[in-house]
Amino acid sequence: MVNTILKLSQATREVNSGSNKIALLDSINMEVKEGEFISLMGPSGSGKSTLLNCIGMLDNFTDGGYTFLGEPVHSMKERNRSKLYKEYIGFVFQAYHLIDELNVWENIETPLLYKNIKSSERKALVADMLDRFNIVGKKDLFPAQLSGGQQQLVGIARALIGKPKLILADEPTGNLNSKQSTEIMELFLELNKQGVTIIQATHSETNASYGSRIINLLDGKIVSE
Amino acid sequence: MIRNYIKIAWRNLMKNKGFSFINIIGLSIGVAACILISIYILHESSYDKNVSNSENIYRITGQYIDEGRVESGIHFSANTATTILADFKEVENTGRLMSNGLFYGAGSNEIRFDGTDDTQYYEEGFTYADPSMIDIMGIEMVYGNIKTALTEPKTIVISEKVAQKYFKNQNPIGRIMYLNGDNNDPFKINGVMKDFATNSHLDFDFLITLKDVEFGKGEQTRWTQNNYFTYVVLRAGTDVAAFEQKMSNTIIEKYLKPSYKSSGFAGWEKLHERLKMRLQPLTAINLHSSHIAYESSFRNDIKIIWIFGIVALFILIIASINFVNLSTAKSANRAKEVGLRKVVGSTRTQLIGQFLAESILIAIIAFILGTVLSVILMPLFRTMSGTDLVMPWSSIGFLPILVLAALVVGTSAGLYPSFYLSNFKPINVLKGKLSSGSKSSGLRSGLVVFQFTISIILIVGTLVINQQMDFILNSKIGFEKDQVVQIYSTNILNDRVETFKEELKKLPGISNVSISDYLPIEGTKRNGNSFTNEGKENTEEGVGGQAWVIDKDYIETMGMKLVDGRNFISGRISDEKAVIINQTMAKELRLDAPVGKRISRYGQLWEVIGVVEDFNFNTMKQTVQPLCFFRGISPTITSVKMNTADVSAVLASMESKWDEFVPNMAFRYEFMDASFAKMYGNVSQIKAIFTTFAILAILVACLGLLALSAYMVEQRNKEMSIRKVLGASVQTIFKLLTKNFIALIVVALVVAIPIAYYLMRTWLQDYEYRIEMSWSVFAVAGVIATAIAFITVSYHAIKLALINPAKVLRSE
Repeated sequence: MVNTILKLSQATREVNSGSNKIALLDSINMEVKEGEFISLMGPSGSGKSTLLNCIGMLDNFTDGGYTFLGEPVHSMKERNRSKLYKEYIGFVFQAYHLIDELNVWENIETPLLYKNIKSSERKALVADMLDRFNIVGKKDLFPAQLSGGQQQLVGIARALIGKPKLILADEPTGNLNSKQSTEIMELFLELNKQGVTIIQATHSETNASYGSRIINLLDGKIVSE
Repeated sequence: MIRNYIKIAWRNLMKNKGFSFINIIGLSIGVAACILISIYILHESSYDKNVSNSENIYRITGQYIDEGRVESGIHFSANTATTILADFKEVENTGRLMSNGLFYGAGSNEIRFDGTDDTQYYEEGFTYADPSMIDIMGIEMVYGNIKTALTEPKTIVISEKVAQKYFKNQNPIGRIMYLNGDNNDPFKINGVMKDFATNSHLDFDFLITLKDVEFGKGEQTRWTQNNYFTYVVLRAGTDVAAFEQKMSNTIIEKYLKPSYKSSGFAGWEKLHERLKMRLQPLTAINLHSSHIAYESSFRNDIKIIWIFGIVALFILIIASINFVNLSTAKSANRAKEVGLRKVVGSTRTQLIGQFLAESILIAIIAFILGTVLSVILMPLFRTMSGTDLVMPWSSIGFLPILVLAALVVGTSAGLYPSFYLSNFKPINVLKGKLSSGSKSSGLRSGLVVFQFTISIILIVGTLVINQQMDFILNSKIGFEKDQVVQIYSTNILNDRVETFKEELKKLPGISNVSISDYLPIEGTKRNGNSFTNEGKENTEEGVGGQAWVIDKDYIETMGMKLVDGRNFISGRISDEKAVIINQTMAKELRLDAPVGKRISRYGQLWEVIGVVEDFNFNTMKQTVQPLCFFRGISPTITSVKMNTADVSAVLASMESKWDEFVPNMAFRYEFMDASFAKMYGNVSQIKAIFTTFAILAILVACLGLLALSAYMVEQRNKEMSIRKVLGASVQTIFKLLTKNFIALIVVALVVAIPIAYYLMRTWLQDYEYRIEMSWSVFAVAGVIATAIAFITVSYHAIKLALINPAKVLRSE
């Protein structure tokens, strides 16, 4: 039997804009099973990023239910929530968001630091990851010295190092050319085959087609699956 | 983890070199100032603490209450010490010192040792001392028996320094020493003591035994002749306050009153209201004696210690504020990092830890640099403070305290920025929604106002202290100190001193010469006498005053002014019974027309022939005291008034004249204006230290302002470029950029002026002769502070105002 990773029921995200309340996400119902590769599609402002951020617990739903691995996230305290996503979720960003002051090795290592993993073990894990992504030669370089595609590789490596169950990718190829895009998407597919659940937000039909399921959003609502 | 923190911290330091530089340099300056001043304060407050049993040793002081005014003294009669030891079982030991240069042997002497040629050497630092003083002050011996060093009459103990000077590496015990060429009065060296520590309140080099010494018949048993410093050792556990009361009452009632009565002093019945004897703890002498008249040497003032401590602390606080301001202002740069770290799993606590580690790292670097800086500046500071200070490497606490202080400063300066920076929400950072530190700009403004308030107070303080100093050194003091040379040790000439004086008068370039040991310079001869009007000896309370012995040329040589009557006339027999008094004496004796009246000194009658205008003869912290001139010879100092610009020629001709008279002794002289300045040397030192540290404080505050304006300019780059495109002139932009800072300075001025006014008024109260603070001081301070701030801010503002907007907007 396939496990459910997360489940949203009537999940809503509202913001106050002056005296009006605007729903960025409106009564979303969805369930994500382990091993799925979901593509969120929709025009700008449809709520893709907000949904990813809320699932990733960087942001909160203002209403409705959110269970992650059977735990009710909506009623959790900040501390436990952060424990949860630290353990199970990895992020990949459109703008890569590497820490400029850290080199490749250190960027990848950072999540391990916050998991209190021993130095020797960290070294082994980071070395593995560099090897796997074929960027050993770049380990001492700083983000500014890398191309966009290389930076995104590091970003993915950083997301993966904590062995997350779920990867949330917000337009992961948005800043890349088509060749680099293809490489990244192939990598995602590969990871998905190895059992990592992926949710990506994308504009690109091509990229979306790599996924096992496509969810279309418009004005904060799911319009089709 | 920690290693990772340090690595990041280091990279951030390197990335923002300018800001790091200002943080670290500012803090280093603060640290160096704190270290130097702390060492100074520790030294000043360590006085006599290493004397064993110091907690039970006291010096007797007297409070003289006169119509609401309280004056303090430390001179008591010879028998005070012995009486206290005999009468009170609480007292374990007593000892006396007598260093009054009025008496033969004390103060300074020309010395000669047996078996050497006739050459006389001038030495200072002579005091008579009881044998018990060696034990009480814990004096250690290099040669000689500690128990018996001063127990025989005519013995002397010299310091190691003096022994090294005259008997290099030899044991001088048993050698004979002659004072002032008097070969009939030998003193035997019976001990060599270790030099008094730099933190001892005593700094004598020669201790002459008081054993069997009597200065005049009956002096040792007379209660009315007060020349001795008296030290008391109490038994441990004595109730000091109660004993002090009992001692004061007993001595006054049982001994002083009967003695004053039989001497015919009016007002003896009320002596208990006018005199209180007190016990001053040995360790309090250095910092709590500035109110005492005729101290044996200079004493610091606890108030000064406090002021210095506060100034040093302020510099450190100003530097720490720079750190807080710059960290929060630059927060936008760190926001992304904070957001990402949170995304990859960092907790807020871990981030706070990281930022604290950074500020502690900065603090540690600053403390290391500051320590190095203080080592470099130490020689300068030693000269400036006139105190023999050393870096206390060897004291156990020094390095741990430095490390601890670095941690405390790093933590307290980093605390607010850490909490502030670690509070960013990752979602906002990632969305690019970040109000770049504007939330804390209110706090930053407040801190800048605080920094400049302190700076302005320090500027006002510096100005007022400088004005007061100049006032003292240059104001009308009642005599003319310029172009007067004091020749010392002319008493060696004995009865030829007047011939010498006449010979000097004949030299070209010399307008007058006078012989007198009593000069309006502190450290020259002083005494205390009691004067009454004729016939009122037993009904009026005596007026305490000085009795100075001068010759007929004195008043003219010193440039003093007779306001009534005439000067002494040479050869006139009746002048042997005549005196000239000062205006204060006339006032105190309630004499409206003093000339022709007679006044009484201990029953002897003197006719007043003249009144001299009041002149200052103590420091200007005191009012002019009553004074009376008698005609006579007091031959140690001869003063020469010159009337030529070619001073060196006159000095040379005086020296050759001296050599004719005294071939085997060096010609020793000092300019009167120099010795006058020496009188205020300590005030000059304090002025120098204060000025330096005030400048440092302002410098550090400006460093912060410079960085802050750089940041602000960076922030408003785009705004100003757009304004320029829309037609704003360079001037408008410059005004826009500087206006806010100037407003802050104005607020600081408003806060600082009342505080500065209050503080400086309090300081000036100490001076009997003082300047009136005028509004111009505050205006000048305001202009200085505003100008400095304006120039600082302008640097970046001008740069921005002149920028080409196309460049900025293109890169956006």
